[in-house]
Amino acid sequence: MRTKHLIIATILLFASTTVRSQDAKEISTKALNVTDIDAMEMTSTLTIMDAKGHERIRKTSTASKKFGETTKIITKFTAPADVKGTGLLVYDYENKNDDMWIYLPAIRKVRRIVSSEKGKSFMGSEFSNADMSKPNLDDYTYKTLGTEEYHGIMCWKIESVPMNDDLAYDNGFSKKIALIDKNSYFTYKITYYDLNNELHKEMTISGYDEVGSGMFLARNMVMINLQNGRKSILTIDQLQNGSSLTENSFTPAALEK
Amino acid sequence: MKYKFIIIPVFLWLLSGSCYAQGLFENTVNQADDEHKLQIDFSGYGRASAYGGSNFYDYSTLFAEFGIQGKLACKRALLFTDLRLRAGSQFDSLGIKLQMKETYVGYQSDKIDVYLGAKIVSWGRMDGFNPTDNITPYDYFFLTADPDDQKLPNFLLQTRWYITPQINLELIAIPIYRPSVYRYDLFDLGEYTTFVAPALPDNTFKNGSLAARFNFDLPNTGFSVSWFRGYDPFYGFNVYDISWEEFAPSIQLQAQPYLKNTFGADFDIPLGSWVLRSEAAYNLTSAYQDSMYIPNPDISYVAGVEHSFRGVVTILQYIGKYTIDFASLDDLPPPENLNDMIIRELAAFDRKIFYQQEKTNHALSLSLSKRFAHETMNSELMGYYNITSEEWFIRPKFSWKITDNLETGIGGMYYAGPDKSVFSYASDVLNGGFVELKVSF
Repeated sequence: MRTKHLIIATILLFASTTVRSQDAKEISTKALNVTDIDAMEMTSTLTIMDAKGHERIRKTSTASKKFGETTKIITKFTAPADVKGTGLLVYDYENKNDDMWIYLPAIRKVRRIVSSEKGKSFMGSEFSNADMSKPNLDDYTYKTLGTEEYHGIMCWKIESVPMNDDLAYDNGFSKKIALIDKNSYFTYKITYYDLNNELHKEMTISGYDEVGSGMFLARNMVMINLQNGRKSILTIDQLQNGSSLTENSFTPAALEK
Repeated sequence: MKYKFIIIPVFLWLLSGSCYAQGLFENTVNQADDEHKLQIDFSGYGRASAYGGSNFYDYSTLFAEFGIQGKLACKRALLFTDLRLRAGSQFDSLGIKLQMKETYVGYQSDKIDVYLGAKIVSWGRMDGFNPTDNITPYDYFFLTADPDDQKLPNFLLQTRWYITPQINLELIAIPIYRPSVYRYDLFDLGEYTTFVAPALPDNTFKNGSLAARFNFDLPNTGFSVSWFRGYDPFYGFNVYDISWEEFAPSIQLQAQPYLKNTFGADFDIPLGSWVLRSEAAYNLTSAYQDSMYIPNPDISYVAGVEHSFRGVVTILQYIGKYTIDFASLDDLPPPENLNDMIIRELAAFDRKIFYQQEKTNHALSLSLSKRFAHETMNSELMGYYNITSEEWFIRPKFSWKITDNLETGIGGMYYAGPDKSVFSYASDVLNGGFVELKVSF
């Protein structure tokens, strides 16, 4: 009888854990989908500040469009002069490694690059390459840590842990905790822990604008490195919902133009 | 009258095509002026560059340069120019030079691009060793911190037809041959050897070059097949004259380009966090048995891998060559006289510059680069070793972006090889260090 109670309790414990786990993933999926725009064009400014407040500024122009199951993203750097003309093309797949090409004016060639080391710094900023593309949801396990109020808004507190050590190394963090609006599913804050499980970076996201039917895009992202005091700000300057660009504009050859 | 009817619709079609509304992405990339739809973009730089320390030259290159790049786009029409004004010294020759790095006009659309003018074209997927790239000439003796400075434009007509988003066909016509720059006159080839003006092909239709490339950029692989017919920018040397004064020979050499057909192919494949690349070319020449400046037909091939080891981008390449119809000079009957001996020695020199001194030639190259200090600093190391000829070089470079507009670079180049090898001759001229300071705007 005692054993029976123990089994029932164990089953209930596993069941409740599974339900919580699915909920957390569902919330993360909804949070991702609310900003998953089929096509758009934008210009943005990336401000990189060191601990002393010295600034470096990068300006980019980006177009993104979904063709079939693949989201294709082309980015061209428009400032400063030394990186101007550099182009990056990403074919963002749901369940496999992305295809990526880069065009460097200095070598006048388009080169295929691999999308490993997503945890590497994006253009020397505190953002990582992983922050610049849509994450693969199946790469993580999810857990709801409860709820938390953020600037008067009730949020889910969701923990995401990479499935294995390789994914953790690739993404550059051991876990991240996101605050997701319980109503709108907007993500307002993500806290990153480094591979030693120490608090590393904190990203705050604001300025959600509706760009389509039920689709939103955040205009401001601020990433603070809590270990070295550096800070990077990504601001969307101009935004256009939809894109008239054809698939020919999202090819390696188009990077050279 | 008939032609008039053809020309007018074509003109109207071009105009109508050009009056399309552009999106935010294209407008921003091309710096559109909203009112006139004339897109103008200027950028440029100033730099001071020094390269020196070789056995023969304390200052190989020492100059100040102002460069400006301008891009004007009016709807689908395009004008691009890259002009450089340089003052300084190159191998003890002082002067001011205006260089048109590139200037071309063109028509760009979703389906087809057409460019005409002085333009640089880079073919091939490998790094630094591209057997399929027979189009772009190089000035190997313009020594700076930036290897791109050595690329020279051709006057050419280039069209690219986008058959599908993944497949395009590129056609290139180069009416006038432009050779690469090899300053063998700077080498110590002995006191009896001099160079006369090169024997360049006449500017006729038949001496022009044609090239075509089918390029496929698929999600899991990229590959291309290509063809080139024309004079190779990488020319050979012929004996112009050998005369004797008492017991001393006077040998006059002449650069002489040769005609060839090249069939090439290349590919790249991403495999997880690795990229595999390869490129090969089948070079066909004729009359090579009678002319020392024409290399034998050969198959040149390069295979490499790229991977990032803890942030160090590592590219390892094997560079090989198989010479068809190879006959060793050692197997020939002994020279009958001194002139024959000199000619044979010079034929051996031509074989060295073509890497055809053996039936097969094997070489390795390794490139390491790492960005650090939040990508404001970059260190690179490039090494090459030719297993067959035992020649090698190494090229370290360090660059630092002090601010967004100010960058400095420092590094060096060191060639070495057995006595009388090409790298041995080059080492006296090309070895040295460089430093550069550049402001971009």
